Amino acid sequence: MIIRIEPDSDIPIYEQLSNQIVEGIARGWIHPGDSLPSVRAFASDLGVNMHTVNKSYHQLEKKGIITIVPKSGAIISSPQDFNESSLARLKEEYKPLVAESLVAGMPHEQILDLVSSIIKDFKKI
Amino acid sequence: MTLAIFLFISIILVGIQTAIPFLVKRTIVFGITVPEKHIQDEKLLSYKKNYTLLVSLLSIIVLAGYVFWALVSNPGEEQTVLIGTFIQFGIILFSLSLYFYFHGKTLQLKKNQNWMENLKQVKVSDLSVRSQDEMLPWYLFLLPMIMTIGVIGYTIFQYDLLPEQIPTHWGINGEADAFTEKTPLSAILMPLTLLAMQIMYLGINIGKNKSGIKLSATGTNASRIRQLTLRKYSSWLMFGVSLLLTILFSFFQLTAIHPDLFAGTAMMTTPIIFLVIILAATIAFAVKVGRSDKHPVGEVDEEITDYDDDLHWKGGLFYFNRNDPSIFVEKRFGVGWTINFGNPIGYLIVIVPLVVVLVLSFL
Repeated sequence: MIIRIEPDSDIPIYEQLSNQIVEGIARGWIHPGDSLPSVRAFASDLGVNMHTVNKSYHQLEKKGIITIVPKSGAIISSPQDFNESSLARLKEEYKPLVAESLVAGMPHEQILDLVSSIIKDFKKI
Repeated sequence: MTLAIFLFISIILVGIQTAIPFLVKRTIVFGITVPEKHIQDEKLLSYKKNYTLLVSLLSIIVLAGYVFWALVSNPGEEQTVLIGTFIQFGIILFSLSLYFYFHGKTLQLKKNQNWMENLKQVKVSDLSVRSQDEMLPWYLFLLPMIMTIGVIGYTIFQYDLLPEQIPTHWGINGEADAFTEKTPLSAILMPLTLLAMQIMYLGINIGKNKSGIKLSATGTNASRIRQLTLRKYSSWLMFGVSLLLTILFSFFQLTAIHPDLFAGTAMMTTPIIFLVIILAATIAFAVKVGRSDKHPVGEVDEEITDYDDDLHWKGGLFYFNRNDPSIFVEKRFGVGWTINFGNPIGYLIVIVPLVVVLVLSFL
């Protein structure tokens, strides 16, 4: 899977990395059980600081998306590894975005359509 | 003989120097990052052509003069070597100054024509590229080291057989022409120097392996092929050189212990064969890597370009990036690798063994 980052973007590089890895899993480009490169290898391939990759990996680990294996890299978790608390956290993170959409005047239907169109895009249905 | 060897080396040197603009990474012109859609710019192409033309023209004239001088005035061997070396440095210096001239010109052209404007600068990487890497594993480099340790052990074992005067330098005819007093250290000095070099090769191979596989955003496949080719063949080349050096040094060491082991012709031809093999391998390597990304790619779709890291390339030649954990990176002008001067490990790998070799040679 190709990772593409924009160093000059407003979104921090570590977040760009996390987002693309998660999206890659959602799209099925990388699968549960696959391993991600070691922090050092990934950072030198991209030419970014090791802290940046480290931060991204730790963020993903905290969310339960990967498990970090010291020295060798990280393994992508399978859906069974997620539990009630991860779903509760996700619910909390949905809230501000849904609230903002309502404030911006998006009707209920449109929000649902938007979500399902994004899912369709990821799953290529 | 001396003239022939110098001429041979010079011609290869000139050949590589003149071909460099056409062997470097496709999106780098004279050390400057150029967006994919501008690499066929007429002015850039003319810069490349002018560089090649000027370097080859001057080199031909100078080398012709050298041959003429050597044949007519029949100078001594020392003079031939001195002038020959001088000419080689002159050619390198001339191409370097031409490089800087065109480096400035390219930089100006890029600025004046606003090539980077409206292009999104991105960095790309492939999560699976590491699994396609075919560099030789580090432990293979232990093999020549074991051979060297064997030679050292044999020398200690046969210490009494060694002559009172140990050869330290060999002339072009394969005869030893400089000697030193026999001591336990001077007896194993040559294989010890070799061992230091082998440790350096091992360190460089590990360092390259840990360094980044840099992909181009606009020519991902072409750059992937080039990077993998560079990594694979440079580790092969380094292993080959390490092995050949070991054979050559062991050969010299064995002739010092057993002077009658090899005939005089072997002493003379071995270093020349060695030289020819290494030069041929280097050319093959440069051409193989240089041509690996020159197949046309039709991958440029959006308005994106590679991240402009000219800032990290001092003069387009020296890479200095503290953020990049890579120890070595691909050269911008030439085929091969250069150190990331922003990473102290690189200095350690290259400078420590060199200092050891220098110290050993002054002992």
